[in-house]
Amino acid sequence: MKIEALFPEVCSLFGDGKNIKYLELMLPEAEFIKTPLTGEPYLAPDVDLVLIGSMTERTQRMVLEKLIPCKEKLLALVDSGVPILATGSAADIFCREIHYVTEKIDAEGLGIFDLEVRTDLFKRYNGKVLGRSGDLTLTGFKSQFSFFYGDNSAFPFMECERGIGINPQSRLEGMRRNNLICTQLLGPLLPSNPLFAEYLVSLTGRAAEAPFKKAAMAAYEQRLREFRDPKTEF
Amino acid sequence: MKSLRFYLAMAAAKGALFGLRLLRRNGTSLPGDVAVKIDKNFLAELTPPETVIAVTGTNGKTTVSNLLTSILRGAGHSVTNNSLGTNIRAGVVTALLADSTFSGRPKKDIAVLEVDERSSLLIYPYLKPDYLICNNLMRDSIKRNAHTEFIRYIIDSALPESTKLILNADDLICALLAPKNESRTYFGITADIPTTFAQDNTVKDIVYCPNCGGKLVADYIRYNHIGRMHCEKCGMGNPEPDFVVTAIDSAGGVFTVSHGGEAREFRLISDNIVNVYNSCGVIALLSTMGMSFEDIARGFSSAAIVKSRLGEVEVCGRKITVMMAKGQNPIACSRCVSYAASVPVRDKRVIIMEDDKHDNTNNVENTCWIYDCDYSPLKDDSITHVLFVGPRCLDQYLHALMDGVPEEKMSCTPDYHDIPEVLETRGCSNFYFLHDLYYERESEEVTRALTEKLREEGAV
Repeated sequence: MKIEALFPEVCSLFGDGKNIKYLELMLPEAEFIKTPLTGEPYLAPDVDLVLIGSMTERTQRMVLEKLIPCKEKLLALVDSGVPILATGSAADIFCREIHYVTEKIDAEGLGIFDLEVRTDLFKRYNGKVLGRSGDLTLTGFKSQFSFFYGDNSAFPFMECERGIGINPQSRLEGMRRNNLICTQLLGPLLPSNPLFAEYLVSLTGRAAEAPFKKAAMAAYEQRLREFRDPKTEF
Repeated sequence: MKSLRFYLAMAAAKGALFGLRLLRRNGTSLPGDVAVKIDKNFLAELTPPETVIAVTGTNGKTTVSNLLTSILRGAGHSVTNNSLGTNIRAGVVTALLADSTFSGRPKKDIAVLEVDERSSLLIYPYLKPDYLICNNLMRDSIKRNAHTEFIRYIIDSALPESTKLILNADDLICALLAPKNESRTYFGITADIPTTFAQDNTVKDIVYCPNCGGKLVADYIRYNHIGRMHCEKCGMGNPEPDFVVTAIDSAGGVFTVSHGGEAREFRLISDNIVNVYNSCGVIALLSTMGMSFEDIARGFSSAAIVKSRLGEVEVCGRKITVMMAKGQNPIACSRCVSYAASVPVRDKRVIIMEDDKHDNTNNVENTCWIYDCDYSPLKDDSITHVLFVGPRCLDQYLHALMDGVPEEKMSCTPDYHDIPEVLETRGCSNFYFLHDLYYERESEEVTRALTEKLREEGAV
């Protein structure tokens, strides 16, 4: 089994790197390809799972320089059903274009989703999300400069019970195409949602138990109780 | 000529200050808030003291600010300082107006102002610092500070080019701050160069050369990105420090600083490497201002770190070391954990109450930072038990498991009142109590209760 972590040295900004670590603990037999920004993305047909995490705005532009030439390889993986998880600001790069309002820069995105990103360094949004994706209930956190605009109703990752979706007016969080999952929930999404970690691995056709499942479930269930509490601010 | 609005703001703020003093509430920034609400240009219209020193950076601002204030006062200067209030604009304004006349003239010679990095845009364009000391720029609150590139952008955009910079040469992000500012003094440490590299699970906020994008190669790393590195492509690297710590003698309680052929020993206020950097920065700044090494050393002989940041309680030959670290600041928390693990004594028990209670109860919480902490030093055999305390103890426990800390030497409790009951204290002489900034009152309560328990148990 091959798992590729794209640019983990710069795409692990808000604890996102712990998603890779959780999978390493979960799948000790798997081969982890950690592609640095100075290297070339592997993205070969035999890769089973791809991860990319939060990054700075400057890094987004460098990552796009690396990934746009690989778009066909990436699309081939998406179309063949390979799970790809993009967390936090990594989700931005899969949209059509990114407008960096503060720096007055426009960047072309990967264009896998027909959405426009507006990034304003002087408007930081912080919030929580409680949402459903299929049978799963996820909890997570958002801390971001960007919102997505456009219609993701045909391809949302999840529906928010509480918290916002791709922008303050949206209840639909993230994007999904086949098993490409892009979410603005950032950081340690897998250890924080052990059932989602198991689901993600199941998309590769394998089954594995979430590491330290008892401890992970205890933390998840406590968060779930709190997020469902009407007194909890979002 | 000051505006009428300024005088109205000053009168209202002074009134608020007087009222708060009557109520013995000194640690508030309300007067500054009042002043700025009435007159948005209040800070620009206020005449600053003759010398303004801004203290900024992710970790160590309070320690540096307090050391500077203490040494300058000891040398006979009158100093305005915002240590009692906050380090955002309202706190800075409160400190300045408290030490100003009604007409807005300063009563003190020097202002030593701790400035939150995020507040740079609200402060520096109006109050131009003569000196700015920055001891590090690293990952901080995800919610407020986002990342170091953003913080650098804010400071660079706000800081006047005339400000003289005192920067940590061993922090490449910090060393590159405000490139247009010509007056730059660097400090660093060459003593005790590490022979091993930082572990893989530590976060690094700079990996590639900001000039050419080449890979940065570490010559050595003390922690996170602190150390020396160079770009394998263009050769750019850490600047050479002008003020250098060449020796640290923990047993003798001194460290040596060299500058321009002169070397002198100073009293070591703490052997934690973070505080050696803080101390060296203070020496570099004061020396740049014209103070002699002799006078600075005299100041260091009586200076101390505020008890709330680092304190020790001894009872019946048993010791509780109390360390404060900002919750939501993973590197500060990791440094405290690493320090507790590094102290060469056996059978240490560590209490970690670093999750952010304030964030949990008063804000839209974000707990992702917990997973950026490095708990791997807790694996050390010298640590026999770790107790996680607070609303997010379960996340901390899970993360410690992921970092390889054995399950059997950990426990957790959400309620700090339970600490004395839950923590097995018998037979142990060394306790490390790591707590968050907003747990100051609770930490005092816990320390008192633990002290009482140890006293009842008696000597080991």
